[in-house]
Amino acid sequence: MAGLDVSGRVAVVGVGMSRLERRSPRSNLALAAEALKEALRDAGLTKGEIDGLVTNIGHPLGVDYDRLAEAFGLRLCYSEQTWTHGRFMGPALQHAVLAVAAGLARVVACLVGIRFSRPGHIGGPRDPEATRQGGGSHGEAPHYGIVTPGAGAAMAWRLYLSRYGGRPEDLAAVPIAIRKHASLNPQAIMRTPITREDYLNAPFIIEPLRLLDCCLVSDGGACVIVASRERARDCRQPLVFVLGMQGMRAGREEFVFGRPGLGAWQQSVSDDLEREHPVYGMAGVEQKDMDGLYVYDAFAPQVVFTLERFGFAGPGEGLAWVQDGRIELGGELPVNTNGGLLSEGHVSGWNHVVEIVRQLRGECGERQIPGARLLQWATTFGDSLIFGRE
Amino acid sequence: MAEERPLPPLHEDELPFWEGARRGELLLPRCGDCQHTWWPPGPVCPECLSDRVEWRRASGRGVVASWVVFRRRLVPGFEPPYNVAWVQLEEGPRLVANLVDVPLEEIRTGMPVEAVFQRLTDEVTLVQFRPRRQSS
Repeated sequence: MAGLDVSGRVAVVGVGMSRLERRSPRSNLALAAEALKEALRDAGLTKGEIDGLVTNIGHPLGVDYDRLAEAFGLRLCYSEQTWTHGRFMGPALQHAVLAVAAGLARVVACLVGIRFSRPGHIGGPRDPEATRQGGGSHGEAPHYGIVTPGAGAAMAWRLYLSRYGGRPEDLAAVPIAIRKHASLNPQAIMRTPITREDYLNAPFIIEPLRLLDCCLVSDGGACVIVASRERARDCRQPLVFVLGMQGMRAGREEFVFGRPGLGAWQQSVSDDLEREHPVYGMAGVEQKDMDGLYVYDAFAPQVVFTLERFGFAGPGEGLAWVQDGRIELGGELPVNTNGGLLSEGHVSGWNHVVEIVRQLRGECGERQIPGARLLQWATTFGDSLIFGRE
Repeated sequence: MAEERPLPPLHEDELPFWEGARRGELLLPRCGDCQHTWWPPGPVCPECLSDRVEWRRASGRGVVASWVVFRRRLVPGFEPPYNVAWVQLEEGPRLVANLVDVPLEEIRTGMPVEAVFQRLTDEVTLVQFRPRRQSS
Protein backbone atom coordinates (compact mmCIF):
# COMPACT_ATOMS: atom_id res chain seq x y z
CA MET A 1 0.00 0.00 0.00
CA ALA A 2 1.36 3.38 -0.93
CA GLY A 3 1.82 5.96 1.85
CA LEU A 4 0.06 9.27 2.10
CA ASP A 5 0.78 11.25 -1.06
CA VAL A 6 2.37 14.42 0.24
CA SER A 7 4.70 15.66 -2.49
CA GLY A 8 3.50 18.95 -3.93
CA ARG A 9 0.21 18.88 -2.03
CA VAL A 10 1.14 21.34 0.70
CA ALA A 11 2.41 24.89 0.20
CA VAL A 12 4.14 27.45 2.35
CA VAL A 13 1.80 30.43 2.01
CA GLY A 14 3.30 32.92 4.42
CA VAL A 15 6.52 33.59 6.31
CA GLY A 16 7.54 36.15 8.89
CA MET A 17 10.30 36.96 11.32
CA SER A 18 10.80 39.36 14.17
CA ARG A 19 13.82 41.59 14.35
CA LEU A 20 16.85 39.49 15.36
CA GLU A 21 19.08 40.69 18.19
CA ARG A 22 21.94 39.44 20.33
CA ARG A 23 19.81 40.26 23.36
CA SER A 24 16.23 41.39 22.97
CA PRO A 25 14.48 43.32 25.72
CA ARG A 26 11.16 41.95 24.47
CA SER A 27 9.42 38.81 25.71
CA ASN A 28 9.42 35.50 23.86
CA LEU A 29 5.72 36.02 23.24
CA ALA A 30 6.33 39.49 21.79
CA LEU A 31 8.90 38.07 19.37
CA ALA A 32 6.42 35.37 18.31
CA ALA A 33 3.66 37.98 17.88
CA GLU A 34 5.76 40.07 15.52
CA ALA A 35 6.61 37.01 13.41
CA LEU A 36 3.00 35.77 13.33
CA LYS A 37 1.62 39.14 12.22
CA GLU A 38 4.19 39.45 9.47
CA ALA A 39 3.46 35.93 8.22
CA LEU A 40 -0.31 36.59 8.20
CA ARG A 41 0.22 39.81 6.22
CA ASP A 42 2.57 37.99 3.89
CA ALA A 43 -0.01 35.27 3.23
CA GLY A 44 -3.02 37.58 3.13
CA LEU A 45 -4.69 35.52 5.85
CA THR A 46 -6.46 36.46 9.07
CA LYS A 47 -5.68 34.72 12.32
CA GLY A 48 -9.14 33.17 12.36
CA GLU A 49 -8.09 31.04 9.39
CA ILE A 50 -5.28 29.38 11.37
CA ASP A 51 -6.58 26.08 12.75
CA GLY A 52 -3.29 24.31 13.44
CA LEU A 53 -0.19 25.25 15.41
CA VAL A 54 3.22 23.60 15.70
CA THR A 55 6.17 24.68 17.81
CA ASN A 56 9.50 23.14 18.74
CA ILE A 57 10.80 25.50 21.41
CA GLY A 58 8.72 25.63 24.59
CA HIS A 59 9.14 27.33 27.96
CA PRO A 60 11.49 28.65 29.25
CA LEU A 61 13.54 29.10 26.06
CA GLY A 62 10.40 29.80 24.04
CA VAL A 63 6.64 29.69 24.44
CA ASP A 64 4.47 26.59 24.81
CA TYR A 65 1.76 25.85 22.24
CA ASP A 66 -1.15 26.45 24.65
CA ARG A 67 0.13 29.86 25.66
CA LEU A 68 0.74 30.83 22.03
CA ALA A 69 -2.84 29.84 21.21
CA GLU A 70 -4.25 31.68 24.20
CA ALA A 71 -2.18 34.81 23.77
CA PHE A 72 -2.99 35.17 20.08
CA GLY A 73 -6.65 34.14 20.30
CA LEU A 74 -6.27 31.09 18.08
CA ARG A 75 -8.88 28.32 17.91
CA LEU A 76 -6.99 25.17 17.05
CA CYS A 77 -8.04 21.70 15.98
CA TYR A 78 -4.43 20.54 15.62
CA SER A 79 -1.59 21.43 17.98
CA GLU A 80 1.83 19.94 18.48
CA GLN A 81 4.96 20.72 20.46
CA THR A 82 8.20 18.78 20.23
CA TRP A 83 11.05 18.34 22.69
CA THR A 84 12.65 21.78 23.06
CA HIS A 85 15.65 21.53 20.74
CA GLY A 86 16.56 23.38 17.57
CA ARG A 87 17.01 20.06 15.80
CA PHE A 88 13.23 19.56 15.88
CA MET A 89 12.57 22.39 13.46
CA GLY A 90 12.50 19.98 10.51
CA PRO A 91 10.33 17.34 12.19
CA ALA A 92 7.94 20.05 13.47
CA LEU A 93 7.55 21.47 9.97
CA GLN A 94 7.04 17.94 8.63
CA HIS A 95 4.24 17.38 11.14
CA ALA A 96 2.57 20.57 9.97
CA VAL A 97 2.78 19.37 6.36
CA LEU A 98 1.47 15.93 7.27
CA ALA A 99 -1.40 17.40 9.28
CA VAL A 100 -2.50 19.42 6.27
CA ALA A 101 -2.02 16.52 3.84
CA ALA A 102 -4.04 14.22 6.10
CA GLY A 103 -6.82 16.75 6.56
CA LEU A 104 -6.31 17.20 10.31
CA ALA A 105 -5.98 20.94 9.78
CA ARG A 106 -6.40 23.36 6.88
CA VAL A 107 -3.89 26.09 7.73
CA VAL A 108 -1.05 25.40 10.18
CA ALA A 109 1.22 28.05 11.67
CA CYS A 110 4.67 26.93 12.75
CA LEU A 111 5.57 29.51 15.35
CA VAL A 112 8.43 30.26 17.75
CA GLY A 113 9.65 33.14 19.90
CA ILE A 114 13.06 32.23 21.31
CA ARG A 115 15.56 33.96 23.58
CA PHE A 116 18.81 32.02 23.73
CA SER A 117 20.36 35.02 25.50
CA ARG A 118 18.65 34.15 28.76
CA PRO A 119 20.47 31.94 31.28
CA GLY A 120 19.79 28.25 31.48
CA HIS A 121 19.50 27.58 27.78
CA ILE A 122 19.89 24.19 26.16
CA GLY A 123 23.21 22.52 26.77
CA GLY A 124 24.46 25.09 29.25
CA PRO A 125 26.19 24.11 32.48
CA ARG A 126 22.94 24.20 34.43
CA ASP A 127 20.83 22.38 31.86
CA PRO A 128 19.02 19.57 33.72
CA GLU A 129 19.06 17.49 30.54
CA ALA A 130 22.83 17.14 30.87
CA THR A 131 22.33 14.86 33.87
CA ARG A 132 19.73 12.57 32.36
CA GLN A 133 20.52 8.85 32.48
CA GLY A 134 22.93 7.94 29.70
CA GLY A 135 24.24 11.50 29.28
CA GLY A 136 23.07 14.68 27.60
CA SER A 137 21.93 14.55 24.00
CA HIS A 138 25.06 16.31 22.70
CA GLY A 139 27.37 14.19 24.85
CA GLU A 140 27.16 16.29 28.01
CA ALA A 141 28.51 14.90 31.29
CA PRO A 142 28.97 17.82 33.70
CA HIS A 143 30.91 15.69 36.22
CA TYR A 144 33.64 15.41 33.58
CA GLY A 145 33.39 19.11 32.75
CA ILE A 146 31.77 18.46 29.36
CA VAL A 147 28.76 20.68 28.69
CA THR A 148 27.22 22.60 25.77
CA PRO A 149 26.26 21.29 22.33
CA GLY A 150 29.55 22.60 20.93
CA ALA A 151 31.52 19.99 22.87
CA GLY A 152 29.84 17.19 20.94
CA ALA A 153 30.52 18.98 17.65
CA ALA A 154 34.17 19.47 18.66
CA MET A 155 34.53 15.76 19.53
CA ALA A 156 33.06 14.78 16.17
CA TRP A 157 35.26 17.26 14.29
CA ARG A 158 38.41 15.90 15.96
CA LEU A 159 37.36 12.41 14.79
CA TYR A 160 36.97 13.71 11.25
CA LEU A 161 40.36 15.43 11.22
CA SER A 162 42.11 12.41 12.75
CA ARG A 163 40.51 10.02 10.28
CA TYR A 164 40.79 11.91 7.03
CA GLY A 165 43.59 14.38 7.63
CA GLY A 166 42.95 17.79 6.15
CA ARG A 167 44.09 21.11 7.52
CA PRO A 168 42.02 22.30 10.50
CA GLU A 169 42.22 25.89 9.22
CA ASP A 170 40.42 24.90 6.01
CA LEU A 171 37.18 24.80 7.99
CA ALA A 172 37.37 28.62 7.79
CA ALA A 173 35.75 28.36 4.36
CA VAL A 174 32.41 27.59 6.02
CA PRO A 175 32.04 30.58 8.36
CA ILE A 176 33.59 32.87 5.71
CA ALA A 177 31.01 31.82 3.08
CA ILE A 178 28.09 32.07 5.46
CA ARG A 179 29.22 35.48 6.78
CA LYS A 180 29.53 36.70 3.20
CA HIS A 181 25.89 35.79 2.71
CA ALA A 182 24.92 37.51 5.96
CA SER A 183 26.65 40.67 4.76
CA LEU A 184 24.00 40.82 2.01
CA ASN A 185 21.11 40.28 4.43
CA PRO A 186 19.91 43.44 6.20
CA GLN A 187 18.25 41.45 8.99
CA ALA A 188 21.37 39.39 9.83
CA ILE A 189 23.01 40.14 13.18
CA MET A 190 26.65 39.67 12.03
CA ARG A 191 27.20 41.41 8.69
CA THR A 192 30.91 42.30 8.60
CA PRO A 193 32.75 39.97 6.22
CA ILE A 194 35.49 37.85 7.77
CA THR A 195 38.79 36.56 6.41
CA ARG A 196 40.85 33.44 7.02
CA GLU A 197 43.08 35.60 9.21
CA ASP A 198 40.11 36.68 11.32
CA TYR A 199 39.18 33.04 11.66
CA LEU A 200 42.64 32.00 12.84
CA ASN A 201 42.92 34.97 15.19
CA ALA A 202 39.66 34.06 16.92
CA PRO A 203 40.21 32.05 20.08
CA PHE A 204 39.47 28.40 20.52
CA ILE A 205 36.29 27.88 22.52
CA ILE A 206 36.31 24.11 22.71
CA GLU A 207 39.37 23.04 20.74
CA PRO A 208 39.36 22.13 17.85
CA LEU A 209 36.42 24.58 17.40
CA ARG A 210 37.13 28.30 17.29
CA LEU A 211 34.82 31.18 18.10
CA LEU A 212 33.79 31.69 14.45
CA ASP A 213 32.88 28.00 14.13
CA CYS A 214 30.09 28.52 16.67
CA CYS A 215 26.60 29.87 15.99
CA LEU A 216 25.23 33.00 17.54
CA VAL A 217 23.43 33.06 20.83
CA SER A 218 20.57 35.33 19.85
CA ASP A 219 16.90 36.19 20.24
CA GLY A 220 14.16 36.18 17.65
CA GLY A 221 10.82 34.89 16.46
CA ALA A 222 9.73 33.17 13.25
CA CYS A 223 6.52 31.97 11.67
CA VAL A 224 5.97 29.67 8.68
CA ILE A 225 2.36 29.08 7.56
CA VAL A 226 1.45 26.02 5.50
CA ALA A 227 -1.81 25.15 3.75
CA SER A 228 -3.16 22.73 1.20
CA ARG A 229 -2.54 23.35 -2.49
CA GLU A 230 -6.22 24.20 -2.93
CA ARG A 231 -6.34 26.63 0.00
CA ALA A 232 -3.03 28.17 -1.07
CA ARG A 233 -4.48 29.24 -4.43
CA ASP A 234 -6.36 32.03 -2.63
CA CYS A 235 -3.23 33.37 -0.92
CA ARG A 236 -1.42 36.37 -2.29
CA GLN A 237 2.12 35.05 -2.73
CA PRO A 238 3.70 32.91 -5.44
CA LEU A 239 3.40 29.36 -4.16
CA VAL A 240 6.25 27.38 -2.70
CA PHE A 241 5.59 23.65 -2.34
CA VAL A 242 7.05 20.96 -0.12
CA LEU A 243 8.15 18.34 -2.64
CA GLY A 244 9.99 15.84 -0.48
CA MET A 245 10.66 15.01 3.16
CA GLN A 246 12.53 12.52 5.28
CA GLY A 247 12.55 12.20 9.05
CA MET A 248 15.21 12.61 11.68
CA ARG A 249 17.37 9.57 12.33
CA ALA A 250 18.11 8.10 15.75
CA GLY A 251 19.85 5.04 17.17
CA ARG A 252 23.33 3.89 18.06
CA GLU A 253 24.72 4.93 14.68
CA GLU A 254 23.58 8.51 15.25
CA PHE A 255 25.26 11.25 17.27
CA VAL A 256 23.50 14.54 16.85
CA PHE A 257 26.44 16.67 15.70
CA GLY A 258 28.55 13.96 14.04
CA ARG A 259 27.40 12.19 10.91
CA PRO A 260 27.24 8.36 11.01
CA GLY A 261 30.46 6.43 10.47
CA LEU A 262 32.78 8.78 12.36
CA GLY A 263 32.86 6.71 15.54
CA ALA A 264 31.26 9.53 17.54
CA TRP A 265 30.06 8.32 20.95
CA GLN A 266 28.90 4.71 20.26
CA GLN A 267 28.79 4.94 16.43
CA SER A 268 30.57 2.41 14.22
CA VAL A 269 33.59 3.57 12.24
CA SER A 270 32.73 3.16 8.57
CA ASP A 271 32.77 4.90 5.21
CA ASP A 272 29.82 2.83 4.06
CA LEU A 273 27.30 5.65 4.54
CA GLU A 274 23.55 5.45 4.00
CA ARG A 275 22.96 5.70 0.27
CA GLU A 276 19.19 5.92 0.32
CA HIS A 277 17.87 9.43 0.83
CA PRO A 278 14.10 9.16 0.49
CA VAL A 279 13.74 12.94 0.32
CA TYR A 280 15.05 12.91 -3.26
CA GLY A 281 12.85 10.03 -4.33
CA MET A 282 9.73 11.68 -2.94
CA ALA A 283 10.57 14.91 -4.73
CA GLY A 284 11.62 13.10 -7.92
CA VAL A 285 14.92 15.00 -8.05
CA GLU A 286 18.62 14.42 -7.33
CA GLN A 287 21.36 16.23 -5.44
CA LYS A 288 22.66 17.81 -8.64
CA ASP A 289 19.28 19.47 -9.22
CA MET A 290 19.52 21.58 -6.05
CA ASP A 291 20.01 25.32 -6.51
CA GLY A 292 21.03 25.79 -2.88
CA LEU A 293 21.35 23.94 0.39
CA TYR A 294 20.24 25.02 3.86
CA VAL A 295 21.98 23.31 6.73
CA TYR A 296 21.50 23.34 10.51
CA ASP A 297 24.81 25.15 11.01
CA ALA A 298 24.99 25.32 14.80
CA PHE A 299 28.71 24.64 14.29
CA ALA A 300 30.80 24.92 11.13
CA PRO A 301 31.54 21.16 10.86
CA GLN A 302 27.81 20.57 10.40
CA VAL A 303 28.07 21.88 6.84
CA VAL A 304 30.85 19.41 5.98
CA PHE A 305 29.04 16.53 7.69
CA THR A 306 25.72 17.30 6.00
CA LEU A 307 27.28 17.50 2.51
CA GLU A 308 28.78 14.05 3.10
CA ARG A 309 25.71 12.57 4.73
CA PHE A 310 23.50 13.52 1.79
CA GLY A 311 25.99 12.42 -0.85
CA PHE A 312 27.02 15.82 -2.24
CA ALA A 313 30.57 14.88 -1.22
CA GLY A 314 32.08 11.49 -0.49
CA PRO A 315 33.16 10.46 3.02
CA GLY A 316 36.18 12.53 3.99
CA GLU A 317 35.87 14.76 0.92
CA GLY A 318 33.61 17.43 2.39
CA LEU A 319 36.33 19.66 3.79
CA ALA A 320 38.03 19.91 0.40
CA TRP A 321 34.61 20.24 -1.27
CA VAL A 322 33.68 23.49 0.55
CA GLN A 323 36.85 25.35 -0.51
CA ASP A 324 37.24 28.02 -3.20
CA GLY A 325 33.79 29.57 -3.01
CA ARG A 326 31.90 26.41 -3.92
CA ILE A 327 29.29 27.00 -1.16
CA GLU A 328 29.13 30.76 -1.71
CA LEU A 329 26.58 32.66 -3.78
CA GLY A 330 27.73 32.27 -7.36
CA GLY A 331 29.33 28.93 -6.50
CA GLU A 332 28.14 25.45 -7.39
CA LEU A 333 25.91 25.04 -4.32
CA PRO A 334 25.25 28.15 -2.22
CA VAL A 335 24.75 27.15 1.43
CA ASN A 336 22.71 29.17 3.93
CA THR A 337 22.25 32.30 1.85
CA ASN A 338 20.54 33.99 4.82
CA GLY A 339 23.72 33.84 6.88
CA GLY A 340 22.64 30.79 8.82
CA LEU A 341 22.74 30.21 12.54
CA LEU A 342 26.40 31.23 12.34
CA SER A 343 25.76 34.82 11.25
CA GLU A 344 22.09 35.69 10.66
CA GLY A 345 20.86 34.46 14.04
CA HIS A 346 19.71 31.33 15.82
CA VAL A 347 15.99 30.97 15.25
CA SER A 348 16.26 27.21 15.39
CA GLY A 349 16.50 26.95 11.59
CA TRP A 350 13.09 28.52 10.98
CA ASN A 351 15.06 31.50 9.64
CA HIS A 352 16.50 29.16 6.99
CA VAL A 353 12.99 28.09 5.95
CA VAL A 354 11.89 31.73 5.72
CA GLU A 355 14.92 32.33 3.47
CA ILE A 356 14.17 29.28 1.31
CA VAL A 357 10.66 30.58 0.69
CA ARG A 358 11.84 34.10 -0.10
CA GLN A 359 14.53 32.74 -2.45
CA LEU A 360 12.02 30.63 -4.33
CA ARG A 361 9.78 33.68 -4.70
CA GLY A 362 12.75 35.70 -5.98
CA GLU A 363 12.57 38.27 -3.16
CA CYS A 364 16.18 38.19 -1.97
CA GLY A 365 17.73 41.13 -3.84
CA GLU A 366 21.51 41.16 -3.70
CA ARG A 367 21.71 37.66 -2.28
CA GLN A 368 19.18 36.12 -4.67
CA ILE A 369 20.20 32.77 -6.19
CA PRO A 370 19.39 33.50 -9.86
CA GLY A 371 16.44 31.44 -11.05
CA ALA A 372 16.26 29.33 -7.85
CA ARG A 373 13.72 26.53 -8.38
CA LEU A 374 14.72 23.76 -5.97
CA LEU A 375 16.15 24.28 -2.48
CA GLN A 376 16.87 21.72 0.21
CA TRP A 377 16.91 21.76 4.01
CA ALA A 378 19.20 19.07 5.45
CA THR A 379 20.91 18.31 8.72
CA THR A 380 23.69 16.21 10.20
CA PHE A 381 20.99 14.25 12.05
CA GLY A 382 19.40 13.18 8.78
CA ASP A 383 16.08 15.00 8.39
CA SER A 384 15.42 16.91 5.21
CA LEU A 385 12.81 18.77 3.17
CA ILE A 386 12.95 19.81 -0.47
CA PHE A 387 11.04 22.89 -1.56
CA GLY A 388 10.18 24.01 -5.05
CA ARG A 389 8.31 26.82 -6.73
CA GLU A 390 5.46 26.22 -9.07
CA MET B 1 30.70 30.82 48.12
CA ALA B 2 32.08 29.15 45.01
CA GLU B 3 29.83 26.66 43.27
CA GLU B 4 31.01 23.10 43.71
CA ARG B 5 32.12 20.65 41.09
CA PRO B 6 29.04 18.79 39.76
CA LEU B 7 28.52 15.23 40.91
CA PRO B 8 26.89 12.63 38.69
CA PRO B 9 23.38 11.53 39.66
CA LEU B 10 23.51 7.84 40.58
CA HIS B 11 20.75 6.50 38.33
CA GLU B 12 19.09 3.19 39.20
CA ASP B 13 20.26 1.47 36.04
CA GLU B 14 23.89 2.38 36.73
CA LEU B 15 24.31 1.53 40.43
CA PRO B 16 26.55 -1.52 39.86
CA PHE B 17 28.89 0.67 37.80
CA TRP B 18 29.24 3.19 40.64
CA GLU B 19 29.66 0.42 43.23
CA GLY B 20 32.44 -1.05 41.09
CA ALA B 21 34.15 2.29 40.68
CA ARG B 22 34.17 2.75 44.48
CA ARG B 23 36.08 -0.56 44.72
CA GLY B 24 38.47 0.47 41.96
CA GLU B 25 36.88 -1.76 39.32
CA LEU B 26 35.57 -0.75 35.90
CA LEU B 27 32.35 -2.71 35.30
CA LEU B 28 30.46 -2.80 32.01
CA PRO B 29 26.97 -4.19 31.34
CA ARG B 30 27.07 -7.43 29.34
CA CYS B 31 24.09 -9.44 28.13
CA GLY B 32 23.70 -12.85 29.77
CA ASP B 33 21.87 -14.11 26.68
CA CYS B 34 23.61 -12.68 23.61
CA GLN B 35 26.92 -11.57 25.22
CA HIS B 36 26.65 -8.05 23.84
CA THR B 37 28.55 -5.42 25.85
CA TRP B 38 27.18 -1.92 25.68
CA TRP B 39 27.29 1.66 26.97
CA PRO B 40 25.58 3.72 28.32
CA PRO B 41 23.91 1.33 30.77
CA GLY B 42 20.23 0.49 30.57
CA PRO B 43 17.86 -2.02 32.15
CA VAL B 44 17.87 -4.43 29.18
CA CYS B 45 20.27 -5.46 26.43
CA PRO B 46 19.80 -3.02 23.51
CA GLU B 47 20.43 -5.87 21.04
CA CYS B 48 18.03 -8.56 22.30
CA LEU B 49 16.08 -6.83 25.10
CA SER B 50 17.13 -9.51 27.58
CA ASP B 51 16.78 -8.61 31.27
CA ARG B 52 19.90 -10.62 32.09
CA VAL B 53 22.23 -7.67 32.55
CA GLU B 54 25.53 -8.95 33.97
CA TRP B 55 28.14 -6.50 35.14
CA ARG B 56 31.55 -7.73 34.00
CA ARG B 57 34.90 -6.37 35.02
CA ALA B 58 36.59 -4.71 32.05
CA SER B 59 40.33 -4.69 31.40
CA GLY B 60 40.45 -0.94 31.88
CA ARG B 61 42.56 -0.69 28.74
CA GLY B 62 41.63 1.44 25.78
CA VAL B 63 42.77 4.11 23.38
CA VAL B 64 41.85 7.77 23.00
CA ALA B 65 39.16 7.91 20.30
CA SER B 66 38.60 11.68 20.41
CA TRP B 67 39.33 14.56 22.76
CA VAL B 68 38.67 18.26 23.14
CA VAL B 69 40.16 21.07 25.16
CA PHE B 70 37.84 23.47 26.95
CA ARG B 71 39.25 26.99 26.74
CA ARG B 72 36.32 28.65 28.52
CA ARG B 73 35.34 28.35 32.14
CA LEU B 74 31.92 26.72 31.95
CA VAL B 75 31.73 24.21 34.79
CA PRO B 76 32.47 24.84 38.47
CA GLY B 77 35.58 22.96 39.58
CA PHE B 78 37.07 22.78 36.08
CA GLU B 79 39.76 25.36 35.39
CA PRO B 80 40.50 25.87 31.69
CA PRO B 81 42.31 24.67 29.78
CA TYR B 82 41.26 21.10 30.54
CA ASN B 83 40.61 18.03 28.42
CA VAL B 84 37.66 15.68 27.95
CA ALA B 85 38.06 12.50 25.93
CA TRP B 86 36.13 9.59 24.51
CA VAL B 87 38.05 6.41 25.30
CA GLN B 88 37.56 3.36 23.11
CA LEU B 89 37.67 0.37 25.47
CA GLU B 90 39.02 -3.03 24.46
CA GLU B 91 35.54 -4.44 25.16
CA GLY B 92 33.96 -2.19 22.48
CA PRO B 93 32.07 0.68 24.09
CA ARG B 94 33.44 4.20 24.42
CA LEU B 95 33.42 6.08 27.73
CA VAL B 96 33.69 9.80 28.40
CA ALA B 97 36.44 10.78 30.85
CA ASN B 98 39.26 13.18 31.57
CA LEU B 99 42.80 12.16 30.66
CA VAL B 100 45.02 12.57 33.71
CA ASP B 101 48.79 12.58 34.18
CA VAL B 102 49.31 13.90 30.65
CA PRO B 103 50.02 17.45 29.42
CA LEU B 104 47.50 18.76 26.86
CA GLU B 105 50.16 19.01 24.16
CA GLU B 106 50.96 15.29 24.45
CA ILE B 107 47.42 14.01 23.93
CA ARG B 108 46.99 12.14 20.65
CA THR B 109 44.18 10.22 19.02
CA GLY B 110 44.91 6.51 19.37
CA MET B 111 47.05 7.00 22.50
CA PRO B 112 46.87 3.86 24.70
CA VAL B 113 45.32 4.57 28.10
CA GLU B 114 44.27 2.71 31.23
CA ALA B 115 41.59 3.35 33.82
CA VAL B 116 42.35 5.03 37.11
CA PHE B 117 39.90 5.91 39.83
CA GLN B 118 39.28 9.39 41.19
CA ARG B 119 37.41 9.47 44.46
CA LEU B 120 35.25 12.59 44.79
CA THR B 121 32.99 11.71 47.75
CA ASP B 122 32.08 8.64 49.81
CA GLU B 123 29.53 7.75 47.14
CA VAL B 124 31.15 8.91 43.94
CA THR B 125 34.37 7.67 42.41
CA LEU B 126 34.95 8.64 38.77
CA VAL B 127 36.64 6.42 36.22
CA GLN B 128 39.42 8.41 34.54
CA PHE B 129 42.20 7.40 32.16
CA ARG B 130 45.97 7.92 32.05
CA PRO B 131 48.53 7.04 29.39
CA ARG B 132 49.74 3.45 29.49
CA ARG B 133 52.99 2.07 28.19
CA GLN B 134 52.46 -0.10 25.09
CA SER B 135 53.80 -3.19 26.88
CA SER B 136 51.35 -3.09 29.80
